[in-house]
This record gives sequence, structure tokens and C-alpha cells, in this order.
Amino acid sequence: MHEKKLTMRGVFVNGIINENPIFRLVLGICPTLAATTSATNGLGMGLAASFVLLGSNIVISLLRNLIPDKVRIPAFIVVISTFVTIVQLLMQAFVPALYDALGLFIPLIVVNCIILARAEAFASRNSLLLSAADGLGMGMGFTIALIIIGGIRELLGSGTIFGTALFGASFEPMLLAVMAPGGFLVLGLVLGLVNAITNRINARKGAEV
Amino acid sequence: MKLSFKGGIHPLRELHEGKGKTHSQPIRDFVPERVCIPVDMHIGTPSAPCVKKGDLVKLGQVIATPVGGIGIPVHASVSGEVISVGPRQMLGKTASTCIEIANDGKDEWVELSPLGSVDSAPADKIVQQVKDAGICGMGGACFPSHIKMMIPEGKSVDTIILNGAECETFLTADHRLMLEEPQRIVDGLRLIMRAMKVSTGIIAIEDNKKDAIKVMQEAISGLEGIRVAVLKTKYPQGGEKQLIDAVTKRQVPSGALPIDAQVVVFNVGTAAAIADAVIHGKPLISRVTTVTGCVNTPSNLRVRIGTSFQDAIEAAGGFSEDPGKIFAGGSMTGLCIPGTEVSLTKANNGIVVLNQKDAVKKQPTPCIRCGRCVEACPSRLNPQFLNALNDLSDLAGMKKHNVMDCTVCGSCSYVCPAKIELCATFKEAKEKITARRV
Amino acid sequence: MKLRLSTGPHLLNRESTQTLMLDVLIALVPTTVAGIYLFGTKAAWVLAVAVVSAVLCEYLFQKLSKRPVRVMDLSAVVTGLILGLNLPAEAPLWMPAIGSAIAILLVKELFGGIGQNFMNPALLARGVLLASWPARMSVYYIPARVLGVTEVVPAGTDVISAATPLIRPGGYQLYDLLMGNIPGTIGEVCKIAILIGFLYMLFVGTIRWHIPVLFVGTVAVMTWIMGGDPLRAVLSGGLLFGAVFMATDYVTNPMLKVGQVIFAIGCGILVGVIRMTKAYPEGVTYAILLMNILTPLIDRWTSRRVYGMVKKHA
Repeated sequence: MHEKKLTMRGVFVNGIINENPIFRLVLGICPTLAATTSATNGLGMGLAASFVLLGSNIVISLLRNLIPDKVRIPAFIVVISTFVTIVQLLMQAFVPALYDALGLFIPLIVVNCIILARAEAFASRNSLLLSAADGLGMGMGFTIALIIIGGIRELLGSGTIFGTALFGASFEPMLLAVMAPGGFLVLGLVLGLVNAITNRINARKGAEV
Repeated sequence: MKLSFKGGIHPLRELHEGKGKTHSQPIRDFVPERVCIPVDMHIGTPSAPCVKKGDLVKLGQVIATPVGGIGIPVHASVSGEVISVGPRQMLGKTASTCIEIANDGKDEWVELSPLGSVDSAPADKIVQQVKDAGICGMGGACFPSHIKMMIPEGKSVDTIILNGAECETFLTADHRLMLEEPQRIVDGLRLIMRAMKVSTGIIAIEDNKKDAIKVMQEAISGLEGIRVAVLKTKYPQGGEKQLIDAVTKRQVPSGALPIDAQVVVFNVGTAAAIADAVIHGKPLISRVTTVTGCVNTPSNLRVRIGTSFQDAIEAAGGFSEDPGKIFAGGSMTGLCIPGTEVSLTKANNGIVVLNQKDAVKKQPTPCIRCGRCVEACPSRLNPQFLNALNDLSDLAGMKKHNVMDCTVCGSCSYVCPAKIELCATFKEAKEKITARRV
Repeated sequence: MKLRLSTGPHLLNRESTQTLMLDVLIALVPTTVAGIYLFGTKAAWVLAVAVVSAVLCEYLFQKLSKRPVRVMDLSAVVTGLILGLNLPAEAPLWMPAIGSAIAILLVKELFGGIGQNFMNPALLARGVLLASWPARMSVYYIPARVLGVTEVVPAGTDVISAATPLIRPGGYQLYDLLMGNIPGTIGEVCKIAILIGFLYMLFVGTIRWHIPVLFVGTVAVMTWIMGGDPLRAVLSGGLLFGAVFMATDYVTNPMLKVGQVIFAIGCGILVGVIRMTKAYPEGVTYAILLMNILTPLIDRWTSRRVYGMVKKHA
């Protein structure tokens, strides 16, 4: 990938599939475990993080030649926290229910290692458009992963998806799924499944070559 | 009180350790038509043949002379004509030089030179006499006995133990010898004690041989410094290290020899052979061996050294079932023979024939961490952990966790419910560690 | 003549994984019979569903993942039965089914199959069920026998639900505690049956006495120190069943005897602490699970003197 010329589409897809922050890089596990008790929470968290990621990637890419190397991390954090504050205020104003559900984890996006990692590894070295595509791709990858995990946990733990009941009244939800151990279990199982599928695809590719 | 050690197992308990078929069979003499005597029966450099095809030899005549420091001579075990001298596949990994003699049936002895009675034989000449008689450890170790009888500079010995434990399954040769010829054993022990200037002699016997304990106790009555130690029936009670631990409560330091615990151990059969050598001047030409398993008349035979397995099995009535596996020794540590043409050596205490069904390899299943092997290991190792290290090919780790102290007794493999070949694994690992100097 | 060659030992002990598991099953027979006698056919259904789904899960997983099918080693049967015995008789039948699937698939097979599970599968499944459906799992029913009827009364109508003896200590006679005339899960109530199973396993050598005796002993001592009644503490709740059948699971307790002693005393202390703080009505499940997790560390920290590690004599 590094040898090939980076394209916007390639960078975007890369963030969702090949380098999915959760399933492939296993970054940002704290919000993944904490903010996925339902698909809605996962979606909200994912979108909030995506917004910050997109914004910080764009700004840092623009400033990449101005920021002195020695103070780049504090500078990145300042940029990131600006966007986090924007998101926090926006969410508090327009989706207060979701804001209450996610609580502390919104301000904690500041220290989400995906965002800092992309700033450091990508945005500070690439052009504006590529960085925007990377932020968007990574954000989408993060959001999709959170929706999958949140969806599974919500389905098992509450019997609903995005708040819609799927089963009859006789369904007794599995409380564990929406408790902390459920987060670890579902994440582990989905990670294992993704790895199994990846291995199978790689084996097939290997067989073709 | 029954003496014992930590760990260990009770193999084939439901079969009376496999000894039921032969423990009451008196020793029978068996002389074959032909013997084929390997010259490398002892540990050390093989002896050099000093006869050639066509030579006529007498019973007890030296047919191969010792080479190197710890070598011992080999004697003709029958009188007759040398048919061939050359390599044959025996129990070892490579072919051994063997001297084949056709028995003329006369059993004509060479001139014998006895040293005197138990009390009159000159003590300083006993060791040389034992060497000239070609005696090596008859319990299976084949270590030349005269070397053991020479105490190295700076070491001391205060106890001689005669090993009559016979903890190996199926074997009853030592048991019958103790019952039928206790005097030879006691004479041998007294001669060893005199030669080594040691005042304490202990004959150690497992308590599943109550009759032998009684007979030996009678045989030693009135003799000062000699006693019988009763051991708990447990495998590997007759292992040198375990025996010393049980009898003297001393442990042989890791990597050292029994003499470092101030003890020297001889097999009861070796003691009897030493008595013959000193009192009658007779070299080691025969031994008692148990032939059992799937044979028609399981027996304790006094066979000539160099008798083929085939002849010995036929002397015990031949196969009663289609054989699947034959080994020299008991079922725990016995060595498998590739074919029945191999010869019995000085160390062969038994021949066991298994049928096809018992010879089938048990398929290993995953370890369930039941801890049976840990409980069984007489060296107090952790076989389960060592096996896990072996799966990772971590030889250095295995060495660090004392795999070199494994005596390859087989207890761990025996008790493993998952049928994992722990013992074979450790044996291989030990060989690799030694070869690669890990 | 073709002779097989191998290194010794040439004859092995008759004991195999299968016979060991069979012995555990035999030891569970009194408990199972007592449970069914006390709670009626409902209990039988719960046990049957637990066992069948455990075996089925194992078979399907091994078949689909193209691994050797090891259902015949009976370990899945043991897991299923122990899980079933850990459930209340009134549990809806989907609970043993889900529990067995969790035990076999999640805890056992995904970690590499028999011998690789880091926790007792039945116990972790019970833990998951307990956390997921606490209402279903911690309401116990007084066995039918106490009511003087032979059939369990249908759920929801006039079944008498009661606090466990742990919550109301002293409320039951010693005789009732021993015979199982108390509320609880199917397997834990009849202490006599558990003790018979324990003695059987000791007799045939399936387990050693250390873990159950030290585990129960530690709880008794802790209760006595805290001013409670040690005998009642031992006979109440799932302590005896857990100590005899679950703490002794080979895979999840330490290899060396010294490690097993630490394990057992650790379990006892945890049960004592959990019962004292009253955080949960029953601490046995969590105590054993926590010590299961510590087992690899205990194995790493403990060692014993290898033969010959002595000073050389002069």
C-alpha cells in the first residue's frame, strides 16, 4: 500500500476494511467497550468520533508544515480538543438523550488513540484531501464496528435494534450482554470471527497465487 | 515399617504386577544348541574377540579380551566350536560383533582358579577376580561390577545395598534366585563388603515377596552388619536412586553417582555371580531370566549367555498367541527386540511376549491436566509442564526444569489417562540436549 | 513375524479420560437421583436438556470446524450434567440449552477444546446465566417433597418461593439440610448424595481429598471466626457441591499439591468474604471462577524439590 500511490478512494476504503481501527488495528477499545450498549449509542459515539477525526485530520494536514516537530503532540491535542468541544456542545444542544447516555465518553474522545494515531501517522504527512479521506474512512470504519458490536449487544441484552423490539413480549433479554463483561465477550467473538474470515480470504488468495 | 520413597506407581496391580504366572515356578536350567555372544554386553568399549572361526573352546574360556579402562572379558557359555565371528543386529542401535559357538554338549570347563572361601579369600584380590569373571550389573545396567567395587580417591562408602526389589513388572528371576539360592547371594554380599571394607550390608526386598524376605532373613541370621530391608511394593522401588532414598533416607545429588551418597548398589544376581567367581572361580556364563507373557509355559530359566530369544521362548513352551511385541525386561522399561534371533545378554532379566492386541499403540488424546504424572514422578519433576515445553521445542527450558534428572522410568506414561507418551518424549529430549550441548 | 518396536512403558494403566469422566458421572448419580426425587420431573427435563445440548454443541462444533470429534470422552456429558445440577428446577428449558452452549462453545471449544478451558465451563455458564437472568436464577423453590405432594406444582400458580437458607440461617433443621428439604438448585440441596459421590470419587481415586476438604474447612473456620455456625455454613448453599464437583475439575486447578492447597484455601477465603459482605447470596461460583483464573499463576509460583537437589556428601 505504501508503495502504491495513495488515492482518496483507496485511503477511504482502507480505513473501513483493511485497517479498520477496531477489527484490524484494535485501537480505541475503551469507547468500544463502554459506548456500545446499544446500536444507537454505538452510532452516536461513532459519528461523534468521526466528526472529530475528519476535522482534526483536515486542520492538522493544513498546519502540517507550520507545527514545529518538538511540540506537535500538544498542538495535535489542542486541535483535537477543539473539535471535541464543538461536538460536545452540539450534542448537548441537539441530541441531549444520546449525550446523557454517552456521558463522559464524549469528552474522552480527546484521548481516543485512533484520532491521535491518525494525526501523527497520516494527517501530519499527507495532503488535505487524502487526510480528509483518511479521517472519513477511519471514522466510518470505527462507526461501523461500533454499530455491529452495539447491535449485537442490544439485540441480546434488550431484544431490540435501534430501540425497535424485534421479539415478542415473552423474550427475556440476556442482561450480561449489556453489562461490561458482555462488551468484552462480544468484541472478542467478533474479532475472532473477523480474523477467521480474513485468514480464509488470505488462504484463498495464497492458493490462487 | 515398610520403606519407601516419594512418588511412584503400582503398575498392573490387577495382574499382581504380571508376576503371577511365574513367581512360583522353580528355576529350570536350559542349555541351547548354539549361542551367539555379543562382545559389547557391558557399558564401555566392546571387548576384542580373541578366537576365530573353527576354534574349539571350553566352557568359561575367555573368547574376547577387555579393551580400555572399564572393560571386562567375555567367556564362552558353552563348550564347542566357534562357527562365526562377525556383526549381528542385537538390541543396540548398531550391529554388535558376536561370537557364535555350536554347543558340543560336553560342558567341559576350563581350568578354574578359585580364591578361597568367603572368609579366606584374600580381600585385595577379589576385585581382580570379579573383573576376570566378566561380571557386570545384572539388574539391567550392565555397568562393570569391579569398577563399582573400587572406591575412587576422596570418596567413602559406608553401606552396600543388594537390590532384590525387582519392582519391574513380570520379572521373577531375582525373586526365585533369592528363594532357591540365598547362600550364593549372602556370600556375594559378604565378599563385596570385605573387598570394599564396608561393614554395613542391606538386602532390600519388596513386600510382595514375603517368602523371599523370610528366606533371606534366615540366610543372614548370625551375620554381623547384614540385614534385610523390607520395601513397599511400588515402582520404581528398585531404581538405584529410589532404593537409596528408601533404605538410607539419603538422596543421590543431581548429576552425581550413588557413591556420592556413600552407597553402592548391586543386584542380587550380581552378588551371586561374584560369589561363584571368588569361591569357585567360575566366570559369568549363565543367568536366571523370566520368560513370560504369551508363552505356553511361563518359566524362570537359567540360560546360558548368548542364548537366542527364539530358543528361550521355545524352552518356555513357545508362543501361545501370535506375538505382537517382545521385549527384554519388564513392561515398564523393557527394550523391544526387532526379531527373535537376538541374544540374551548378562543384563537380560526377562523376556515378555505381548499378543497382537496388547501391542497396539494407544492413540494419545489432549492432556486434561489431571496431575497423575506429577504425582507419579519419582524424580519429583512436573512431566505435564515438561511436555508442554517440549511441544514448544524449548529444550533449554526443559533442561532448566530438570529434565536431565528424569530416570526414564516410565511412571508418567503409565498413569497418563490421555495416553501421552511422556517418557519417550523426555528420553528423546535428554538425548538431544546431550548431543547438542544445550 | 512383524514385531512392533517402541520405548517403554509397554502396558499402560487402564484409566483413560473416558473412564475418569465416567467415574465422575457415576459419582453424580446419587445427586442426580436425589434432585429428580426432590424436585420431580421438571428437574429431569432441565438435566436432560443441559446434557443433550452440551453434547450436541460439542459434536457440531468439532464436526463443522473439522476437528477430531471427541464426544465419546464424556467430558461434555459431565459439563452438561453439572451445569444442569446448578440450575433451579423451575428454570425454563431454554436456560440449560443456552448455558450448555456457553459452557461448551465459549469456554471450552473456542479456547482449544478439552484441557484448554481456563475456567470451569459449567461454572462460567452458571455465572453468565446468573448475571443475565438473575430473577430466574436466584429464586428457589422448596422441593415438592416438603409440601407433601409428589408432583411439582406448576410454576407461577402456587409454588412457594422462599429465601435460601443462607439468607435465613437457622430456619431449617439439620436433617432437612442434609437430606435436601431446602430450597436451592437441583444438585446442591441433598448433601448426603453429594457426600456419597465424594466418597466414591475418593475410593476409585478420581480426585484427592485436598481441595474439597480444605475448601470446605476454610469456609467453616472463617464462619466460626466471624461468630457464625460453621456446620450450617457448610451445609447451606452450593458450597459442598462446588467443592466436590467443580473445584476439583482437573483442567482448572493447579498441578502440584502445594498449589492445590493454595487454590482450595483461596476458594474458601473468597466464599467467606463474599458471604460476609453479603454482596451476593452465594459466593461459591465466583470464588471458584476467580481461583480458576489464578491457577496458571499458582502453577508458575509453586514448585517442589526435585530428587537429588541436595548437598553432596563428603
